[in-house]
Amino acid sequence: MKEKILHETTIFAEKITDFGSFHITNALITSWVAVAVIVIISIFLRRKLKEIPKGIQNVFEVFAEGALSMCDQVTNDRALSIRIFPMAISVFFFILVNNWLGLIPLGGFGLIENHEGIKSFIPFLRGGTADVNTTLALAVSAVIGANLFGVVSVGIWKTFNKYVNLSVLGSIFTKIKKEPTVIIVAPITFFVGLIEIAGEVAKIASLSFRLFGNIFAGEVLLVSISALVAYVVPIPFLFLEILVGFIQALIFSMLLVVYFTISSSDHDHEPARNASHNDAGGESHEHQKLTQGVV
Amino acid sequence: MDSIVSTFHIDWKIIIAQVLNFSIVFTMLYIYALKPLSKLMKERGEKIAKGVDDAEENAQILEKTNIEYEKVLVKAKTEAQILFNNTIKEAEIKKDEMLEKAKSDVAIMISDGKKTLEAEKTKMVADAKNEIVSLVMKVTEKLIDKKLDASFDEKTIKELSNL
Repeated sequence: MKEKILHETTIFAEKITDFGSFHITNALITSWVAVAVIVIISIFLRRKLKEIPKGIQNVFEVFAEGALSMCDQVTNDRALSIRIFPMAISVFFFILVNNWLGLIPLGGFGLIENHEGIKSFIPFLRGGTADVNTTLALAVSAVIGANLFGVVSVGIWKTFNKYVNLSVLGSIFTKIKKEPTVIIVAPITFFVGLIEIAGEVAKIASLSFRLFGNIFAGEVLLVSISALVAYVVPIPFLFLEILVGFIQALIFSMLLVVYFTISSSDHDHEPARNASHNDAGGESHEHQKLTQGVV
Repeated sequence: MDSIVSTFHIDWKIIIAQVLNFSIVFTMLYIYALKPLSKLMKERGEKIAKGVDDAEENAQILEKTNIEYEKVLVKAKTEAQILFNNTIKEAEIKKDEMLEKAKSDVAIMISDGKKTLEAEKTKMVADAKNEIVSLVMKVTEKLIDKKLDASFDEKTIKELSNL
């Protein structure tokens, strides 16, 4: 009698092998493949660069121009867009290639693992972004990158005061005679700054789990549909997931642009933006608008 | 928190590995694609902008040159017309002068010719007279067979020349 092998989509990336204490998971392998693909395309593009664009350069230039225009819509400043653009486009491509690699029907290649008498199939490839570790790494990079960008753009003191607003506490002593209400407003503003720290953690959580949830849900959907009706019926869903992969990469990179733009703006001189920034648990009004617009 | 870590198998080593992966992507994409491409696009943009500026400048220069050309052409036409008129006038004057000179030369030549002819005629008549006289004397000598003297000669010559 043929032995039953369990085909189960787990919420975590499965371990393929160990390298000392380091677990090499199938999502990590996919990410390495994604890195290799992007590096090869980059080198190929570099070698094909010409003053009069042709082929892949044309496509890339059109794409870059479009992406830069989208950045402009958020930043309202071409110079700032150009500074943020390399990070945003890198995140976009990394996520996009990871998302799409998870859709390539190479999941049939893998290991059969025997765990307590139950044999289960572990595919070699799993969408890199269908692992929380990958999305967390990207979210942490984005948030830390945004804050570093803020330090470079507006200075370390202003960035620090965004979270631990010592200057507003100091203003109690200097402004109390002119504005007695400062004794109430300043502690509230200081407390809002502390909430910003929680907001940064919320950003990491929202960025990472949004991406992970969407991509993992897509993989589960494809597996479920394939299990129900194989071969033809999953095809429309496959196209849907190609679109979802693109949209999720776009959302993540546009949110990154929003975070970078907020970090680079001087809050002392932009009360309106500051006000909108403090709502929705650290996610700005622009963020909400953009998310609503894209999704 | 622990349940989240265990449920999702969150592993800080994998997170660091993924950060490293992303760093590689960012670096390679920036060095090999974005930086040279943006440089190329910037240069091309500058070139196009310069080309447009040059074209506008050239159009302005062309327009200016056309205006200058028209001005010069009008001026040249006017000058040429003046020059032409002057030349015609000068030519007329020259022609009249030459005509006058030619007329006077012809008149001089005619008068000289007349004088020469007159002198020639006078000389011819004198010569003919002398010839006739000597002929007459020779004939007379033959007839009378005598040498006539010089007074007879002169007298005879005078008579004969008055014939």
